[in-house]
Amino acid sequence: MKKQILYVLLCCVSTGVFAQTSTSSGSNKFVVYGNAEATYTATKDESGFGDVNFKPIFLWKISDKLFAEAETEIETGGGSVDLGLEYANMCYIVNPYLMLHAGRFLPKFGAYRGRMGEAFINRFAADPVGFGDGGIGAMNETGVGALGGLPFGDIKINYDFYVSNGPQLLTDSANAGQFEYEAYTTNNKSSAVGGRLAVLPFANSSLEVAYSFQHKSKTGDAGTPYENVGVTMQAVDFNFLQNITPLSSTIKLLGELKHQKTGNATYYKDNGDAVNFNNVSTAYYICGTLRPSLADSKFLRNVEVAVRYSYFKRPADAPWGGDNLKQFEAALDYWLHWNDVVKFCYLKQKGSPAAFNAQIVFGF
Amino acid sequence: MKKILVGFTTIAIAVIITIFTNGCYESKKVADKSGAQLWAENCTRCHNAPPPGEFSNENWDIVGTHMQVRANITGNDAKKIIDFLKSTNTQ
Repeated sequence: MKKQILYVLLCCVSTGVFAQTSTSSGSNKFVVYGNAEATYTATKDESGFGDVNFKPIFLWKISDKLFAEAETEIETGGGSVDLGLEYANMCYIVNPYLMLHAGRFLPKFGAYRGRMGEAFINRFAADPVGFGDGGIGAMNETGVGALGGLPFGDIKINYDFYVSNGPQLLTDSANAGQFEYEAYTTNNKSSAVGGRLAVLPFANSSLEVAYSFQHKSKTGDAGTPYENVGVTMQAVDFNFLQNITPLSSTIKLLGELKHQKTGNATYYKDNGDAVNFNNVSTAYYICGTLRPSLADSKFLRNVEVAVRYSYFKRPADAPWGGDNLKQFEAALDYWLHWNDVVKFCYLKQKGSPAAFNAQIVFGF
Repeated sequence: MKKILVGFTTIAIAVIITIFTNGCYESKKVADKSGAQLWAENCTRCHNAPPPGEFSNENWDIVGTHMQVRANITGNDAKKIIDFLKSTNTQ
C-alpha cells in the first residue's frame, strides 16, 4: 500500500513539472487537476475529523481524435488509507456527436454517483441515503460504450450506452443479496447492458430530464448456485437551474429516483439457516439550492443555502436491510472559488442522532 | 423486463443510426449561440462556471475535451466554449 501511495504522489509531483503542456511534434497534451476534501463531524456522542480524500485527475489529449482520462482516489473514510482507480477511460472522437470509449469508466446511471455527488458539486457533506456506500445503482464499470449529445432544433438529447462487466452479487452472510459495484474484473461470462437518455427540452439547457437503465442476467460467481441471479436497475433524474431576478438569486432543483430488482435466491446465515427475501430496493432524493448570485455584495454572491430530503427503502428481511431510511440535510455553503467551498451542514436521519458536518473542498 | 430491455436497445441503436445517417440539426437560435452563452449554460448545469483564467489556453483544449466526455457536450459547442475561454484568457 505504501508503495502504491508513493507511486501516486510521484505522479502528482511529476505532474507539477510537466503540467505546462507541450505542442511540439511527437508530444501529447497532458494536464492534471482534481480535488481534495476534509470533513469534520459532531454528534451528541462523538466528534472529530473524519474523511480526508485526495482525488487527482489525469488528462491526456493525444490528438484531435484520441483522448485519455484517469482518476485515482486516496480515501480515509474506512478508517485506513484506501487507494482506488475511479476511472481510466480511453476515448475516440468519431464526430461532433459521437464518442466511443473503452476502459474503466463512470457510467451515467442517474446523475448523482460520479457527477452531482462529487465534493465540489455536492452542496452537502454527506450523501443522500441509498446513494453513497451501501446504496444501490451502478457506480464504476469496465467495458466499452458510446456517448454524445444530439441537437434537434431547440432540443438537445444526451445519450450514453455501454456494455460492461456489471455488478457482482455478494453472498456472504452479512451482505447476501447486495452487490459489488466497483469490481475491477468479471466473475462470469455475462455482461451488463446499460445507458442513459437525457432530454434538455429548452434551448437554454436549463432543464435536463433523464432515464437510466442497466440489466445483467447473471451476477453470481461462475459455477455457483447464484450465477443465474439477474439484476435490473432503473433511474430517473432531473436537474433545473433558473435565475430569479426579484431575489437576485439562482435556484437549482435536482432529484433522482432509483429502483433495483434482483432475482430470487436462497442465502445462508453463518449458522446455516436459510434466508429468503424479496430483493427490491428503491431510493430517491430531492434537493433545492438558492444562491444570491446576482446580488451586489460579493460576500452574498458567494453564499449558498441548500436543503435535501432522501429516502431509501430496503428489503426488510435482508441481513443488510431493515427499516426504511429517511434523511434530511440542510447546508450553508461559502464559495471561496468556483471549485473551492466550505460547507456547514445539519443532518438528521431517522434512528440516528442529529449530526453537524463541516467540510472543506479545494479544487486544484 | 425483456420488453424494457428490447425497447431500450432499440432506442440506443436508433440514436446511433440517426447520428450516422441523418446527422443533427440546430434551430437558428441554438446555432447562433456564442461561446460565452454556451459556457454559462453548460458549465452551470453541474458546477460553477470556471473563469477563463483558470487554465492556460493549451490546458483549455484538454479540459474542454474532458468535459465533452463528462457532460455530453457536442464537439461544435465544445469548440465554441474553448475558443471563448481562450479569447478572454488573461493568463
